[in-house]
Amino acid sequence: MKFWQFCAIAGSALFAASAQPAAADDDTIKIGVVAAQTGAFVSAGNTIGAGVTLAVKEINDAGGVKIGGKSRKIQLENRDDRTDVNVAIAAGRELVNDIGVAALYGTESHDFSVSMTKITGPAKVLQFTGNSSLGAILTKESVAPGAPLHYTFQSEPPEFQRSGSTARGVLKLLGKEIGAPLKNAVVFVADDATGQYLSEHYVKALEANGQHVDLIKYPPNTTDFTPLLTRAKGLNPDTVHFWYNGDVTLVAFPQAVQLKVAKGYFLFGVDPGVWADRKLVSTAPVTLSCVPMCWGAPPTPEAKAYFDRYFAAGAVKGVQSSVSLLYYDYMHWYAKAIEESGSTDPDTVVAQIEKMKYQGVVSKAPLYFDNRHRVSFATEVCLVKPNTSDQFECAVEEPPTEPPAGDNGG
Amino acid sequence: MEIFLQQLVNSLSVASVIILIGIGITLIFGLTGIINFAHGEFLMIGGMTTWLVVSNGGGFIIGLVAAVLFVGLLGFVLERGLFRLTLDRPMNGFIISLGLIVVLQHFVIRFWNSYQKSIPEPLSGVWEIGGVQIIVMRAVVVLITAVVVAITFFGISRSRYGLALRASVADQETASLMGVPVRRYITGVFIYGSMLAGLGGALMIALFPITPFIGSTIVVRGFAVALIGGLGNVAGAVVAGLVLGLMDGLSAGYGLPEWTEAYSFALMILILLLRPNGLLGGTAGPRAV
Repeated sequence: MKFWQFCAIAGSALFAASAQPAAADDDTIKIGVVAAQTGAFVSAGNTIGAGVTLAVKEINDAGGVKIGGKSRKIQLENRDDRTDVNVAIAAGRELVNDIGVAALYGTESHDFSVSMTKITGPAKVLQFTGNSSLGAILTKESVAPGAPLHYTFQSEPPEFQRSGSTARGVLKLLGKEIGAPLKNAVVFVADDATGQYLSEHYVKALEANGQHVDLIKYPPNTTDFTPLLTRAKGLNPDTVHFWYNGDVTLVAFPQAVQLKVAKGYFLFGVDPGVWADRKLVSTAPVTLSCVPMCWGAPPTPEAKAYFDRYFAAGAVKGVQSSVSLLYYDYMHWYAKAIEESGSTDPDTVVAQIEKMKYQGVVSKAPLYFDNRHRVSFATEVCLVKPNTSDQFECAVEEPPTEPPAGDNGG
Repeated sequence: MEIFLQQLVNSLSVASVIILIGIGITLIFGLTGIINFAHGEFLMIGGMTTWLVVSNGGGFIIGLVAAVLFVGLLGFVLERGLFRLTLDRPMNGFIISLGLIVVLQHFVIRFWNSYQKSIPEPLSGVWEIGGVQIIVMRAVVVLITAVVVAITFFGISRSRYGLALRASVADQETASLMGVPVRRYITGVFIYGSMLAGLGGALMIALFPITPFIGSTIVVRGFAVALIGGLGNVAGAVVAGLVLGLMDGLSAGYGLPEWTEAYSFALMILILLLRPNGLLGGTAGPRAV
């Protein structure tokens, strides 16, 4: 064989090898995360990667996932979706089709997650995503074996449950602090797919708790909220409820206090920890809620220990750090399901998860997925004592079992 | 009535930062022909500079001055290093500016991450006059904007340099023959416009937290102000900024709130259809050397 022929054959072989999807390595289990590391949803997205990363480190440090006497390490692939659905889909395709991940965590954006199921489902890749809007498509039929969403798991409660427990907790704490009956509420929410979905349920939850509710939707990318907040003030609200992007809420809220829009406020997606960390202060009563447990005021020693480990591992102290808990728990849950089933076969693992009850950090009671692949757990709501940065009164609210009138139960 | 008056007060502060960025754009675009879509990122860099200074123990005033000077220097480097090479082909400059948006954003993200940055409010307090809340810091921003607008207006319309600048816009070749250093004027205008963006960024972070992505939101408004007012027309930019601010305030207060931005841009389309050179008229852009 001539030298140039050898080079051509060797080169072709190398090219062919590099063009192949990465071959599965028997010693590792590949896991993917698609979430915003940049862009508008970075505070929520960053927690997904950080929570899964911590869980993977703990699993690997403990020797890996044990299957039939053999241990397999987890290889984690993190991708930034830049808060852009097209980037999220491209990253999902790369992780599923090229890297060959067995499970995917994310994204932080509701509509992105729904799009991602079109990639994970046909490839039999398990997808864990917190977005409650999945509830609109997760049905008994769609998650059955062979159905398109069999491998999709919604890791947050149905929205009517989260909205119900949040509304009840917020009104209870604010009512006590303000010392007068609360009747009029304004819900202030971003006018995007997530905001529209969430506010639809939260308005019903407030109405079920005796509130007259006005809904004000603000255009995404708004920074000066004073015109819209002035409109809200004209409605004479007792309370203003800011949903749902914590970063944006922390831009709008101080403006509301300066304009004296209401007697009390609720900030969704802002952890007490960030309130204390940034030394924020409000003259008006403020409530905060966390999904599921609050960084800064965790209700259990396990949750406190988790947040200590989480930040010690280098996680950023973002406004929604508590969301990381979900993904931390579901990573451990997935690893345990593999160990208990003794297989990485996706159908076997899904069957195992469906019959498991898992005790993690997220909830005092063991978690389990219902027949629509949804979980249910309580929400923690905290009141910030006026003029303080670190004085919180918190309560854990159990979710309602039935949706309120007019709520379709999504 | 209180609510209506509050919306008018809000409109003024909404308009201020937009006017600053709009003047920068109208001068650069209208007088030099450079279409710099990264102008919003200049504002972002100004805000980040202020944040860096304040979070390292410097006061807000020092942060503001540092932002103005640093962004001015950035403007000088970019004009000399990039945009000067595209004066004959403005479209190339436009494309370069789109690339600059990504480069500047990622430079900031690389070193200071993509999280929100904020500083303690330099002046706290709210004045209440007849039930209308006037936020002190916003009043100061309006005042600073008014001073800067006045200086810019008289600088362009009354000074010897302004006269030479307008002459070079009308006919660069003739102005050059008359001894006007046209290229130097272009650099000067670019630096001044950049400094206004730096000032806008410093004032903005005094009012709201900012992220590395704030620029793209602001720059669209800035271009709207520049076009509605008339390219190169400082007074036009002020009028356009006030019109857009008023539109924002009143549409948010009395229209469909989620349509706030749509109202403003619909107004821009309408004005440009009826008055293609803007409300107060502007340059048609400089003729290339």
